[in-house]
Amino acid sequence: MRVLVLEDEPVLRESLIKQLRSAGFVVDSAADGIEGEFAGNEYPIDVAVVDLGLPGRPGLDVIRAWRKAGKAFPILILTARDRWQQKVEALQSGADDYLTKPFQFEELQARLQALLRRSGGWSQPVLQAGPVELDTRSQQVRCQGRAVELTAFEYRLLEYLMLRAGQVVSKSELTDKLYEQDFDRDSNVIEVFVGRLRRKLDPDGQLLPIETLRGRGYRMARE
Amino acid sequence: MGSKPVTASAPSLVNRLVLGMAAASVLLTGAAAMALDALYRDLALDSRRDVLDAQVIALVATAELDPAGALAPASIAEARLSTPGSGLYAEIRNQTDEVTWRSPSTVGSGLELKARPKAGERLVERVTLPDGTRVLAFSLGVSWETGLRQPATYVLSAAESLEPYFSQVARVRSWLLAGATLLMATLVIGLSLGLRAGLRPLRRLELEILEVESGRREALGAGWPRELEGVAQNLNGLLAGEQARLARYRTTLGNLAHSLKTPIAALKSILATGHADPAAAGPQLDRMQSIVEHQLRKAVLAGAGSTVASIAVKAPLTDLTGALSKVYRDKSVACHCDLPDDLAYPIDSGDLMELAGNLLDNAYKYCRTQVGLRARADQRPEWRRSGLLLEVDDDGPGILSVDRQRVLERGVRADESVPGQGIGLAAVRELTAAYGGTIEIGESELGGAAVRVSLPGR
Repeated sequence: MRVLVLEDEPVLRESLIKQLRSAGFVVDSAADGIEGEFAGNEYPIDVAVVDLGLPGRPGLDVIRAWRKAGKAFPILILTARDRWQQKVEALQSGADDYLTKPFQFEELQARLQALLRRSGGWSQPVLQAGPVELDTRSQQVRCQGRAVELTAFEYRLLEYLMLRAGQVVSKSELTDKLYEQDFDRDSNVIEVFVGRLRRKLDPDGQLLPIETLRGRGYRMARE
Repeated sequence: MGSKPVTASAPSLVNRLVLGMAAASVLLTGAAAMALDALYRDLALDSRRDVLDAQVIALVATAELDPAGALAPASIAEARLSTPGSGLYAEIRNQTDEVTWRSPSTVGSGLELKARPKAGERLVERVTLPDGTRVLAFSLGVSWETGLRQPATYVLSAAESLEPYFSQVARVRSWLLAGATLLMATLVIGLSLGLRAGLRPLRRLELEILEVESGRREALGAGWPRELEGVAQNLNGLLAGEQARLARYRTTLGNLAHSLKTPIAALKSILATGHADPAAAGPQLDRMQSIVEHQLRKAVLAGAGSTVASIAVKAPLTDLTGALSKVYRDKSVACHCDLPDDLAYPIDSGDLMELAGNLLDNAYKYCRTQVGLRARADQRPEWRRSGLLLEVDDDGPGILSVDRQRVLERGVRADESVPGQGIGLAAVRELTAAYGGTIEIGESELGGAAVRVSLPGR
C-alpha cells in the first residue's frame, strides 16, 4: 500500500515515515502543501495523511484541489485543534477521517487500514475472497478455516490483491504499491512472491485463489 | 501601543472646516460687494442724466430767436453755466450745424459734441475733453417755429464733467472693500473659535483613549455630549470585555503552568533515577496531554456573551450528522433528525458544533445502528427569548444510572482525569455551564443512552 504523508513538522514526519515503512507501507512524503498537492496528483497513491496546518498551501486547499482533479484516494486529516467546526469543514472538503494530535501510531494505522478497506469496497474488517479469509485487525489469514503463516511481504501482497478482489492488478502496479521507488522494476520478484503465496494458501493446487492473466497481471477471485 | 504614525497626518477637522467656510464667505462677500458697486454706479449715472435732462429743458424754456435768426437763451439761471471750468456746459446748434450759442463755461474747454439728434430725439454720449476730463452729454433735437416756410431743427445740448461721479464711485468702492474684509475676518475668526470649542470633546476623547492606552486610566470618563455618548459607552464596553478576557487568559495561563508543574516534577524524578523507564513516563505524559486539551478547550470557548447573535440551529447540526455519517460509514448508522427549520438560538456556532459534535460522536460510537437528534425551542414565561433543548440518543448499551453523574464529572479537572475517557462529555458539561444550562442523562426509547441539554432563554 502506498501512502502519502504531508506533515511539516520534521520530527513527526520522519517518525511517521519510519513507523509506516515498518508497518509495510510504501511511503511518499512532502513538507509543504504545494509539493504535497503535486505528489498526490502525480504518484499512484492509495491513501494520504494530511496535516491541516501546512506551509505553502493549507491542507484543506490541497484536499479540495485533489478532489476537484478527480482523485478518489481516501484522506486522513491530522489536526492539532480538535474543534468540531474544523473537523466538519475538513470532512466536507473531501477528507474521509480525522485524527487529533497527539495520537498513538497504532490508532493512525488502524484508521488507515479501515480507510483502505473501505475504498476497496469492504465494510467489514475481515476480508473474504472465496476460501481465503484475511483479518485486517489481527493480520491473520485463514484458508478454508486453516490458519496460514505469511511473511510480512506476503501478507501485504495478499492484502493488496484481496482489497481489489475481482479486479485485475498488474505487476507494475504491485511493484509501485509494495516497493519503494528505487526498486529494480525488471526483476521477477513479484512472480516469485505470488508463487510462494499460492503454495502457502493452496498447497494441493485445488483452490486456485489467484488467477494469472497473461500480460495483464493477477486477479483474486472475489467469490 | 501608541506608536506614532509614519505617514503625515491629514489636515485637522477644524482646519478643514475653517478653510471651507472661509472660501465660501470670501466668495459670498466678494459677490455682494460687486453687486452693490454695480447698483450704485447705475443709480448715480441715472441721476446725472436726469440733471442734464433738466438743464436742456430749461434751455428750451428760455431760448428765443434773436433778430439774426440765431437761437439763444434769453437769460442763464444756472450760475455754473456762466463760470468757465465749472464742469457744466451747454450749447445750441442750428440746422446747418453752426453753433448759435455756447455757455460761457465752455470757454477754453475744447468741448466737441458729436450727437446730432433729429427733431424730438434724445441722445446721450460720452466725450473726453483735451485735458482728459470725461464728460456726459445729453442732446435734444427741437423743431422751432422761425416764421419761415418750414420750422427749423435745432440741437440743444447740456454736458457735465463725470469726474465728481468717478471720485464718488471710488470712495464707495473703498468703503465696500473695507466692509467686506471686516465681515470675512469676523466670519473666519468666529467660525474657527466656535469649531474649536465645539470639537473640544473629540480632543478630550482622544486624550482619554491615549491615557487608557498608556494605562493611566481604566475607562473613559462621563459627561459626553449627546453625539459622543454612544461612542464612549461602546468603547467602555469594549474595554471592559478586553479586561475580562485578559483576566481569563491570565487565569488560564496560570492554571496551565501550575497544573503542568506536578507531572514535570514527576518526569524529572523519573529521569533522576538514572535508568529512565519509558513506561513510567507514559502516565505523566498522558496527564500533561489531557491538561493541555482541557485548557485549550476552555481557551476557545466563546461563551455566552451578551453580544452573541442568534443563529439558525439546523444547518450546523445537519453538517455534523453528515460528517459523522462519513466517519462511521462502516456502521451504516440511521440518524433520525428532528430539527425545526426556523429554530434559532443565540449561541456561537462553533460552541454549538462542539456541544452537539461531542454528544453525536458518542452516540455514533456506542450505537448499534440508530441515532436520534432532536432540537426544539424551550419557552418559559420568565424568558423573553426562548431557550434551546437538545437531545441526542442511541440504541447502544446505555449508561448505568450509578455511572451517570460520574461520567459527567470526569474530566472536569483535567489534571485528575483519564485521557480518552469521558473527555467528550466533560467538554459538553463545560460548554453547557458556560451558557448557564443544565445537562441530564437518561434512557432512550431506542434502548441506549439519552443525553438532554437545556440552554436557558433570556
